[in-house]
Amino acid sequence: MKKGKKSLAITIGITFFILVMIMFMQFKMVFQTDITSIETMREEELQEQLASWKKKYEETEAQSQEITETLNKYKEESSSDSQTKENLEEELNNLNLMLGTTDVQGKGIIITLKETENTEEPIKADELMVIVNYLKDAGAEAISINGQRIINSTYFSYINNSYVRINGQRLTSPFEIKVIGEPDYLKSSLIGNGGYVEKITSWGQEINFEEKKKIEIPKYNDEISTKYMKEK
Amino acid sequence: MIFIAIMVGCILGALVGINLPIVPYTYSSYLAIAIVAALDSVFGGITGVLKGEFDFKVFISGFFCNAILSILLTYLGNKLDIDIYLAAIVVFVGRMFINLTIIRKYYIDKWSNKIQEWKDKRKQLRND
Repeated sequence: MKKGKKSLAITIGITFFILVMIMFMQFKMVFQTDITSIETMREEELQEQLASWKKKYEETEAQSQEITETLNKYKEESSSDSQTKENLEEELNNLNLMLGTTDVQGKGIIITLKETENTEEPIKADELMVIVNYLKDAGAEAISINGQRIINSTYFSYINNSYVRINGQRLTSPFEIKVIGEPDYLKSSLIGNGGYVEKITSWGQEINFEEKKKIEIPKYNDEISTKYMKEK
Repeated sequence: MIFIAIMVGCILGALVGINLPIVPYTYSSYLAIAIVAALDSVFGGITGVLKGEFDFKVFISGFFCNAILSILLTYLGNKLDIDIYLAAIVVFVGRMFINLTIIRKYYIDKWSNKIQEWKDKRKQLRND
């Protein structure tokens, strides 16, 4: 009985030992843990916080994305604005250059065409047109005849069998044709075997070519206007 | 003898428990439910002793099994996303109150009997 009682006492003692030990561990833990710190949080609390932070993060992310988009849009707009402006200006310059509303210069040739004493046929508008046509064929970028710029709407007419009219200006021999372009091409378009120059000389006219590194061609002086044509 | 064993166990347990490393807060709910289960067993044991039907094996097995079972239930509840530990706490604490009532009644009876006896004795003495 005594032995049984002793073992009983020891077992109960151990039981209480375990109980109190666990209790004190719990006390200590509850006492010492900072409930707000992340390491000691329970899973659910962490999940909750995580969810809320995630939500906040998503909101902020969406906001930032929106702002970035707006920013990009503005950037694009501004860049495209300046780009368009530049492009437009460049195009305008190019068009002006092509159109002949600006003074231009560059390498090319000067052709002098004049009637001599033994000229059988006077210089007519047709002849000038043919020459201009040949020159254009050879890649002429700007042409002027006696200071009259040849542009899109330029016309040649021979009035009263006595003078040539170009751009409404009365011109007579000698004609000085200034051409900007590759000089060799320009020359070879007219000279050469069976070229137009042969015909010209056969009519008793005199034609001279002068190659120059810098030729200045004046702009078209009149106004260019359209009356019937409209943009589609 | 048993009282001494309980005292020694409590003191040793307090000392060791204080000096042990901290358990992560995540497991605190498990420890708490185990403590409640163990306390329930202790009160049940006391009731048994008072009633004279205390069985040592039942006490020890109840002590550990209840604790472990409640921990397992809490774990299961965590996994099932149901607060099963609340049911365990309700059962354990309810039983603790029932046991406490029994213990209280027992001592009240005992004390009132004693007082009655004492009064009777005094009456008798006075009569004598």
